[in-house]
Amino acid sequence: MSKLVSIIESLDPAVRDESLDEIASTLALDELMIEADALESYRLVCDNLYQRVRACFFLYSIHRYHLPLKSELANSGRIPFDAYEHFLQRQFEGCIRLLLAEQAENGPSDTLSSALAAAYHRLAFQTLADQVRKSVRSVQGNQWMFRVGHPLDQPLRIRPELTVGDERPVLRELTPVRMDLTHSAWSDIFFLGMDYPEGARVLNISVDLAVHGRDAHPKPPVEAYFRVIDEPVVRLASVDLESSADITEIDEIFDFARDYLGLLKAALIASGVIAPGLEGSNARLEDLLTRIAGPGRGIELVSSVNGIPKGSRLAVSTNLLAALISACMRATGQTESLTGPLTGDERRLVAARAILGEWLAGSGGGWQDSGGVWPGIKLIEGQAVNDGDPEFGISRGRLLPSHRILGEQEASRETRQRLQDSLVLVHGGMAQNVGPILEMVTEKYLLRSQPEWNSRNEAIGILDTILADLKAGDIAAIGRATTGNFFGPIQTIVPWSSNLYTETLIDEVRKAFGDSFWGFWMLGGMSGGGMGFIFEPTRKAEAQHKLQEIMSAARKRLDHSLPFAMEPVVYDFSINENGTFGDLLTGDDALLPSGYYAMIVPQLIRQDPRNLSPTRRAELDRFANACHDRPELSDMVQTLFDRLLPRGKSAADGGRDLSTLLEVTGFDPVAHEQVRAELKSGRIGLAQNRLPVSSTIRDVVAGDVVDGIGGITPDHVSLGREALENGEVAVVTLAAGIGSRWTQGAGVVKALHPYAKLGGKHRTFVETHLAKSRKIGRAAGAFLPHIVTTSYLTHEPTRSYLEAVENYNYQGPLRLSQGQSIGLRMIPMVRDMRFAWEEMPQQVLDAQAQKVRASGRAALIDWAQKTGEGSDYTDNLASQCLHPVGHWYEVPNMLKNGILADLIAERPQLKYLLVHNIDTLGANADAGLLGSHIQRGATLTLEVIPRRLEDRGGGLARVNDRVRLVEGLAMPREEDEFDLTYYNSLTTWVTIDSMLEVFGLTRETLSDITRVTAAIRRMAARMPTYITLKDVKRRWGHGQEDVFPVAQFEKLWGDMTALPEVNSQFIAVPRYRGQQLKEQAQLDGWLRDRSAAYVESLCEWE
Amino acid sequence: MKITKAVITAAGANQRRLPHQLLVDRNGVEKPVINIIADEAISAGVEDIGIVVHPADEDLYRAAAADSGRWTIIAQHEPRGYGHAIYCARDFVGDAPFLHMVGDHVFVSRDGKSSASALIALAEQENCAVSGVQPTRENEIGYFGAVSGQRVRGSHTVYSIDRVVEKPTPTQAEQILAIPGLRTGHYLCFFGMHVLTPALFRLLAPIVESSSKNVDLSSSLNELAKGEKYLAIEANGMRFPVDVKYGLLKAQLALGLSGGDRNEVLTLVCELLAQRELAAAEQEN
Repeated sequence: MSKLVSIIESLDPAVRDESLDEIASTLALDELMIEADALESYRLVCDNLYQRVRACFFLYSIHRYHLPLKSELANSGRIPFDAYEHFLQRQFEGCIRLLLAEQAENGPSDTLSSALAAAYHRLAFQTLADQVRKSVRSVQGNQWMFRVGHPLDQPLRIRPELTVGDERPVLRELTPVRMDLTHSAWSDIFFLGMDYPEGARVLNISVDLAVHGRDAHPKPPVEAYFRVIDEPVVRLASVDLESSADITEIDEIFDFARDYLGLLKAALIASGVIAPGLEGSNARLEDLLTRIAGPGRGIELVSSVNGIPKGSRLAVSTNLLAALISACMRATGQTESLTGPLTGDERRLVAARAILGEWLAGSGGGWQDSGGVWPGIKLIEGQAVNDGDPEFGISRGRLLPSHRILGEQEASRETRQRLQDSLVLVHGGMAQNVGPILEMVTEKYLLRSQPEWNSRNEAIGILDTILADLKAGDIAAIGRATTGNFFGPIQTIVPWSSNLYTETLIDEVRKAFGDSFWGFWMLGGMSGGGMGFIFEPTRKAEAQHKLQEIMSAARKRLDHSLPFAMEPVVYDFSINENGTFGDLLTGDDALLPSGYYAMIVPQLIRQDPRNLSPTRRAELDRFANACHDRPELSDMVQTLFDRLLPRGKSAADGGRDLSTLLEVTGFDPVAHEQVRAELKSGRIGLAQNRLPVSSTIRDVVAGDVVDGIGGITPDHVSLGREALENGEVAVVTLAAGIGSRWTQGAGVVKALHPYAKLGGKHRTFVETHLAKSRKIGRAAGAFLPHIVTTSYLTHEPTRSYLEAVENYNYQGPLRLSQGQSIGLRMIPMVRDMRFAWEEMPQQVLDAQAQKVRASGRAALIDWAQKTGEGSDYTDNLASQCLHPVGHWYEVPNMLKNGILADLIAERPQLKYLLVHNIDTLGANADAGLLGSHIQRGATLTLEVIPRRLEDRGGGLARVNDRVRLVEGLAMPREEDEFDLTYYNSLTTWVTIDSMLEVFGLTRETLSDITRVTAAIRRMAARMPTYITLKDVKRRWGHGQEDVFPVAQFEKLWGDMTALPEVNSQFIAVPRYRGQQLKEQAQLDGWLRDRSAAYVESLCEWE
Repeated sequence: MKITKAVITAAGANQRRLPHQLLVDRNGVEKPVINIIADEAISAGVEDIGIVVHPADEDLYRAAAADSGRWTIIAQHEPRGYGHAIYCARDFVGDAPFLHMVGDHVFVSRDGKSSASALIALAEQENCAVSGVQPTRENEIGYFGAVSGQRVRGSHTVYSIDRVVEKPTPTQAEQILAIPGLRTGHYLCFFGMHVLTPALFRLLAPIVESSSKNVDLSSSLNELAKGEKYLAIEANGMRFPVDVKYGLLKAQLALGLSGGDRNEVLTLVCELLAQRELAAAEQEN
């Protein structure tokens, strides 16, 4: 029997928890292939879900990490396009079948393994997600909601207390949020809790919050309001997101991404008020409301979170969902009591419904996130399944955990007070997506790699330590434990849960407070947002003040390096001993929160008063009286006045700022209008990016590509070394872009992003590139000039950052080549949006997420039409409205801004440039490759790498029989790309004189700016213009973000190879050298597949 | 065990007029609802009937009782709920089991065999309390008391009750009232007819005496299920609550269609429909 299958099947934990990595690293290629075959056959017949999933993860790991290390494995292969299409359609089984057939026919290869790894990975997560969804639905108490398919099936009725009198009582639910002391290494992820219930343990605390310095005192941050109204509609309002809607159709309730009311809709569905079984039923909402609330009546649901910013890591949104669900359940008689706390069973049901709501809305937190529903401090633990549970026979653990509230014995009143007196709770201001981290955790758990598995067990032990510390009332010891947890198990399992910002804060706090700083406490899935710092109680007030200072200063320094969504804040907090709590507001108190009226009253005032219902009029009367009587509403009149008559935009706002910027950056309005005219007329656009369909695109043949691995001779090396020693080479790092994919459009400078710890410290991209040049220069005895290109967006941040870090002590000349061109983004054409979303192959998402995405896209198309297709995009920060115009311009910019001329003047011996992208971390001025370039006498030598599945976006091809790089955007047929063996790394060796000749210039004429400008314009005209859609984030409110697709144009460097007069050579280099880091989600694999170690081996940090 | 007495509750604030509404019974005789219910009890062998009424209605009922000769009118002097209403009949019942029916339901048998007879037969045979139940879809369970339990071996229609819940939510029902063998989303809800034992009065007494709050019946029945054998039988007839919209109409149609005037009632309904359609067609022309 296969060794790996026997691990999966074993009942003995000592065998079952064996690490795949250790076994796989001892196997030869053919032995690994035999194991992979055995795992594949096993998973196809295995009927145990978790064993099947583990087999998938084993297969993923073998193909992703172990096979590529075998030198006998072929470098390149072909991924059948059909397999890729299955992959995009989430038909992973079909995809795997086709890939394995290809492997059987043409043998294994790195390329095929990359596709198999991706398919197994996705299949594993799909299987797990499907099972969780099934379990959520089958929780007893949730099933009936899926059977309600008609209004007459609806069993719920509004409680009579909510329909008495004319003033309509308001049911209010107040809910704390949860703060986890430890989650035992993310053990609350459903997949973990269901497979390893004994390891799923979380200690969390329900807390009330206030923003320090803004709010008077802590109170439950989450509020939900429910009332009956005299119109047959569902009225939803989110006070924080300033959004409200009157809904008249059932299908609108299921349209989650249409507006900002998705959470309220999910609550209505998950509480059974609008049962999930009604989706797509064509039933009338009015009929349903008649059944629930009575003829002519409707319901209103309002949410408010008291301005607590997003990304607090306190599970605000899950607890808000739970509060809304609880209010809906109380209102429809699903709880014993209309008001007061809930019973234990009711809390469990609310938690189960919150999980259901999250899955319906396409998100999905952990099972402990609705912890605010329970009071005080509680131990939440996974539960083994019993006969009779819906999960029986499927998983080892139940979907829902048990909650045990710690009593006075386990955490005394004094201890709780001491904890409150010691802990400073903050929001660091960073907003990041925790999703990839949760995937990494799941994967590592199932692979049981030794360091990570040991860390998991260590983290479980830390929970017991903290429990003992709580009992002993030793807060300093808790601080030691949470700090040890963060720097120990948490970072061993997922290094990316920390970042430079967090560690800077910890260092500076430690420096400022010495022994009075008792420890750091990571909240939620990752650090940078909500965090805790524990101090000696006598210094807490001082620490609150100081932390605000430290955070603001660090944020300022790193503002362009890391994605900050808001200014950091310090909270006041207190432990909430109620859990979620309901009360009924009647008579004059039957009012919604003041923010609701600030939003609604201006709309009502604009209506004819005769059209307002009597209850609405009565409510406005009550509100007007309350404004007189209640001190907290004293400034309401001013607020309403401001809303009714918005003031003009101030000089400091985005619009004004942008036009000034455009003036100073030399923005070319004539060219811009030309692009707009062409875009609007349809002469350029996504479809027009493509080469004519008559073009023939074929893979290269032998002789088209130089072998950069086996083909490098000692002669090449010595030729290159000589050039390096003579100072003939400079390195150009392209860093004008803002890495839209790297931070999903957050607009940070990618070059300055401290992406990973190398050599024991967080390193930025630019530091890494300098460290490679340092090593090469030191070996050659001549430090290389290093040029970092910038654009308007990145120039000043890069300059000031490098100045602050003193150029990382780089010994050679370091210059910034400032961009000379800038574009203004435009609202995209609907035609292009449809092309991108409907015509181009798309990754289909999980069914529910797909629905959410579709409704979000419909809203974006509506936005583009209403805002004006092809008009300027100006509704954002100026830097988010501008765009660099493509990397083609970056080398010409060096001609235009005089940097190249200056360098040549300083170093007349300079002959060659190594141009590479900021994210190609393995690229360096390698002597052998340089020698090969020199020997062949090429103008440009472009480095290419064997393709993997993730390498999309073009490659090296014979286009109409000319060997050239072709962009993915220009591929006339998607499938052509899959026949190409090589992917473009963009790293280019340039012979300066030949390049100048192509531009019609010489070293001497470089100083003639008019001539240079004319030469560049002439060349630019020959380069194709691509229209692309980029996602940009627009931030607003308290850490809220929206993502908009905007249109911009680009010219790309690879198209130089299409020019007949350019002598372009192509050289295949190892993957480690040529691969690019495009997304942060790649980092973990990059670290594990030894890419990080490779890069580190090229660097000298000092 | 021999059951000779029945208690009908008719004191609810919303149902005071309903028992006096006239309906035509299966035999074509016009009668008040209360008499139709009483007839069901008598046909099952009951000899004496106690009717619990609102004090203001005592005279009205006493006048009707004089005609029947078997009725005892019991006033519920405080409106303290269903459980209290039954408790008011304790002296009438004495220390013996009794049949209980609600005064706002009309029961119609399917095959001429009354549901009350089946209940009494089972109670006498098993020597225990028995409640009539009916599988009810989850969208209706919020109106009734419901039970959970196991089907008694060897029978398709008899269950041993282990829990009683008043007006459960669908969630509660799914969590604690599911009964193997019933269709998904269906639960056993009370039919409005029970044979109860004097033990019930012992359970009600402390609750009634200890406070002045409303007293429900289901909580005490739930206690009864814990303390003694308590069965449920799926009633073979139909019940028609007359206190809901069109309740009286439905009850009348059901009585009419199951009795001697079946053809006449059917003709009436058909005529009504035909006339409507004809009038509509003429309007269109």
